Amino acid sequence: MLRFVSREAGRLALQLLGAILLAAAISALAQPRARDGVLSFLFAWAQTLNAFARLDFGTSSISGGTALGELAAHLPLTLGLVAEGFAAALIVGVPVGVLFGAGPARRAAAPLVQIASAAPIFCAGLALAFLAANLLHWPVPLNDGVKSGLSLLPASPAGLRAAALPVLTVGLAGAAATQLAIRRAAAQAAGQPWRQQLRRMGLSGWDIERTYGLPEIFAGSLVSLGEVMLALLSAAAVVEWVFNYAGAADLFVRSVALRDWTVVALILLVFAGLTMAADFIGRSVARALCDPGGTP
Amino acid sequence: MTLTATASPDRAHSLQTVLRTAGWIGLGLIAVAVSLSDFLAAAPANAAGIGPLLAPPSETLRFGTDILGRDMLSETLHGLSATVRSALPATLVTLATGALFGFVAARLPRALALSLHGVVGILAAVPALLLAILIIGLSARGWAGVAAGLSAAPLAFVRAFERAREQERAAHSEYARATGISAATLLRRDLVYEFSDTLSSSAARALAAVAITTSTLSFLGFGAEPPHRDLGLMIAAAKPYFLHAWWTAAFPALALTVLVLCARLAAGLDEGERA
Repeated sequence: MLRFVSREAGRLALQLLGAILLAAAISALAQPRARDGVLSFLFAWAQTLNAFARLDFGTSSISGGTALGELAAHLPLTLGLVAEGFAAALIVGVPVGVLFGAGPARRAAAPLVQIASAAPIFCAGLALAFLAANLLHWPVPLNDGVKSGLSLLPASPAGLRAAALPVLTVGLAGAAATQLAIRRAAAQAAGQPWRQQLRRMGLSGWDIERTYGLPEIFAGSLVSLGEVMLALLSAAAVVEWVFNYAGAADLFVRSVALRDWTVVALILLVFAGLTMAADFIGRSVARALCDPGGTP
Repeated sequence: MTLTATASPDRAHSLQTVLRTAGWIGLGLIAVAVSLSDFLAAAPANAAGIGPLLAPPSETLRFGTDILGRDMLSETLHGLSATVRSALPATLVTLATGALFGFVAARLPRALALSLHGVVGILAAVPALLLAILIIGLSARGWAGVAAGLSAAPLAFVRAFERAREQERAAHSEYARATGISAATLLRRDLVYEFSDTLSSSAARALAAVAITTSTLSFLGFGAEPPHRDLGLMIAAAKPYFLHAWWTAAFPALALTVLVLCARLAAGLDEGERA
């Protein structure tokens, strides 16, 4: 187990190093001379890497503040959206994955799940906004043109209504990824040879599933944690744009449009790091569940 | 009770075949609609004043009209055509830089192959949409199709890489190496088999992915430019008033969803699988 975690940690470190090199290359574009030629770019890249080593991520060309300050102002909203969206994804995705993970229910639900998951996130977000505005008469901040913050810990019914739509939209995107991970893990576990062997040893079907099947499926699902994180971050980018919230993903979109490369690079680095970390955690916990004895 | 009980393989296989066939029929119908869009549409693209402003669906204007009085049925057909026309080259980019390059990269010398896998793995850790926006930012808005194709490529690369590594460990590869067949010949043989078996499903899978990405790019303002409106741009244009005029966004969104659904079914994707 320790050897596995060490290997995975080494892989994570290499991936993070690669992400830092990529982010530095993008951030180097902010230097005026970086586009003069290959040598100028390489020089700018080296300078940026040197600055990164000193935790100096540059200055935003839009606001004039530090890129780190811009990120600190916008990231909490995105992280909150992702965290609450993940909770919603578990609430919706786990039952769907378990109910439709096997047997006749899987066949019956297949076309319906395909149709539901074929809608792009921005279409799903607009559909939810339409239903909320016309059926529930909630205020929907689609068209006020002003980017605003969002309280993800609402203290009033109005705050709850404001947070519900973005969180639900992100949650639905995460739920699609979560239920897929569970059903994929269930299908993999179904083909394992130990099931028949345990049956021959006299264990009941329920005992086998409770003691061996469920941990295997849970572990198999955790392996896809990185994919779920990707789905949540993508959804957060679209949701912040659709509902006019000033999060980090929305900042990324605006920064690319305005060629603010220092901010773009930093946000890209953080998002890639989040996905890599989720992948690492998912794999390590899955390994611990499947191999609690610590076999090297 | 068995949580992981599976349906009988025959029935599952026949359902899969039915769904795939339905997907290809749907894609065929969409291809016909796209190639005949100028003939099928009652009005040319962007023709304003065809009917009253924001008229709801009726006998004469089946999909209603938008804020400029454009016929939504005609506009949806033209938008679908624009979306498919930008998604097709993007699909080719994904197949070439993802599936093909991934398969070949796996057979390169081990150190080089693993390095390439690592580099692409870093790109795969960035959401495809944000990667596409970044590529457009670094190039130009006219490159949206290529950017969508490149952003879907890392995932296709990783899949093809893993398949190529599996085939390298298969029995036929060991026999080939033992009998002195060169690595290049074995690669050519595996490539032919790989693409004859999976080209259609890989293409349909890539089409679903890039159709979503190109539309989302247009929705965010990074893709199609007026007057050439695709479905994403049509939905973005409807955003200010769709709460009161649902048909302005609903029909383009429905057309986009049907396109993605058909492509996913044709690819034989598992339900909800990322395209």
